[in-house]
Amino acid sequence: MRTYELQNVSQPNLLENIFPYSLPPLIKFEGKIQETIDGKTVEFDPNEVKTRDIHITDTTFRDGQQARPPYKKEHMVKLYEMMSRLGGPNGVIRQSEFFLYTKNDRETIDACRSLNLRFPEITGWIRANKGDFRLVKEMGLKETGMLTSSSDYHIFHKQNQTRQQAMDQYVEVAEAALEAGIRPRCHLEDITRADLPGFVFPFVQRLERLTENQPAHMKVKIRLCDTMGFGLSYPNVAEPRSIPKLIWRLRNECGISSDRLEWHGHNDFHKVHINGASAWIYGLNALNGTLFGFGERCGNPPLEGAIVEYIALKGSLSGINLSVVTEMVQYYEKVIGTHLPTNYPFVGKDFNTTRAGIHAGGLRKFEQIYNIFDTTALLNRPPRVSITDKSGTDGIALWVNEYLGLKGDERLSITKVAKIQRWVMDQYEKEGRMSSITDEELEEQVKTNLPDYYEKHRRN
Amino acid sequence: MTRREIAEHIVKITARELNMNAAEIKETDNFAMELGADSLKSIELVAAFEEEFGVSVIEEEALKVQSVGGAIDFFDKLLNKH
Repeated sequence: MRTYELQNVSQPNLLENIFPYSLPPLIKFEGKIQETIDGKTVEFDPNEVKTRDIHITDTTFRDGQQARPPYKKEHMVKLYEMMSRLGGPNGVIRQSEFFLYTKNDRETIDACRSLNLRFPEITGWIRANKGDFRLVKEMGLKETGMLTSSSDYHIFHKQNQTRQQAMDQYVEVAEAALEAGIRPRCHLEDITRADLPGFVFPFVQRLERLTENQPAHMKVKIRLCDTMGFGLSYPNVAEPRSIPKLIWRLRNECGISSDRLEWHGHNDFHKVHINGASAWIYGLNALNGTLFGFGERCGNPPLEGAIVEYIALKGSLSGINLSVVTEMVQYYEKVIGTHLPTNYPFVGKDFNTTRAGIHAGGLRKFEQIYNIFDTTALLNRPPRVSITDKSGTDGIALWVNEYLGLKGDERLSITKVAKIQRWVMDQYEKEGRMSSITDEELEEQVKTNLPDYYEKHRRN
Repeated sequence: MTRREIAEHIVKITARELNMNAAEIKETDNFAMELGADSLKSIELVAAFEEEFGVSVIEEEALKVQSVGGAIDFFDKLLNKH
């Protein structure tokens, strides 16, 4: 057994090489990951993700819109514009896919294109039939996704086809796309429940042969659709649920390079984000997500989660403007009328709000104790406290100092806010209150008990 | 202000804040154990002492004070710069 001796240091070790605070905590790897495939050990180098062109693709207006009331055209145009600023000039958010079926769909695409934004590139989404393909041509898109269901659940029980009929139909539409100069992106629906060697790999190899003589920008793309959220990121898990094995076989046995592979997940088993991030690490470049994870049933990979993961993996912002996420959630709430759960990571009203007095005390003394990263600088969201009978005088002091905008030595001590804390406690102990104290009530208390400070710092 | 005068103020404020008779308060009394001051009441006492003497104290140091005599010594030291 190895013996560890206490190192009684004079200065704290805050492990800032991993927790820089100016960025989300960084993800560092210390070796290769091993996976057993066909009885042999294969290796994945997770550090490859640092140099590979991983990026995010968006389906907020396609899958994300299937699970909620439709967005208005102006909503989509505004969100598209914000998405462009969020992903930044390097195109971390590389593409966004749109429906093409209604007049409103097509007018929205025209309005988004009129903004002349380089990223995200607008792509389409169609079913695999030639009638739908006409819409892509009419809109002048360079790439379209097409539904190519890959499990027998879909082929036999939804489409009433044989595997041969399904494959022939899919390939026919992909060929039509290529003839029109449009890059096909085949969405292999339900792939984590499919017969991989019996259908998926033969189909992908046939698609690959179809574009083997095409220039790079026209080679077929493959979207791996974990339609029911069955995918698993664990090492050595059995196929077809294994994400590592699936990506390895597509790259090494079917010849699909990382830049032509995309992961599209669903959250039915609470695995949506980690599966997407794992897919990046196991060797594909594009992670498909939606704003705030809106999507069929339990949703898709949350785009903002992918953005934070990207920063953590790359170790830099890479042109990302993370504060746009805060603008987006405000837009959802104020204009679209959609409210997120208050504890939703990065954007929920209370994501960096503490309630316990002991936490508020820590936060007041040294913000980093209870704040995940510099949310003020990166998200324009200072850490907050929610005031109840459990918040303590530390919580009141934190709230008041934030409210008055006091910094450094200006900040009020707990003795200065003791009267407000007494009022709060009386609310619960004497009035029998059951709800949190509102910001408006606390503002009134500041006016009453700290009138000089209110006059100086909040009056105007 | 002499230590005796400071003591009179401390006892008066303590009696008012804790709703007690000043004659019952002794210098050896511990604010929490003998006089029943909880954490908020201790903060309120410090705030009241600050107001009474017209000073601001370092809260961590002030809240370390346990007894009435300790509070008298604390403010005697602060006000008379011993």
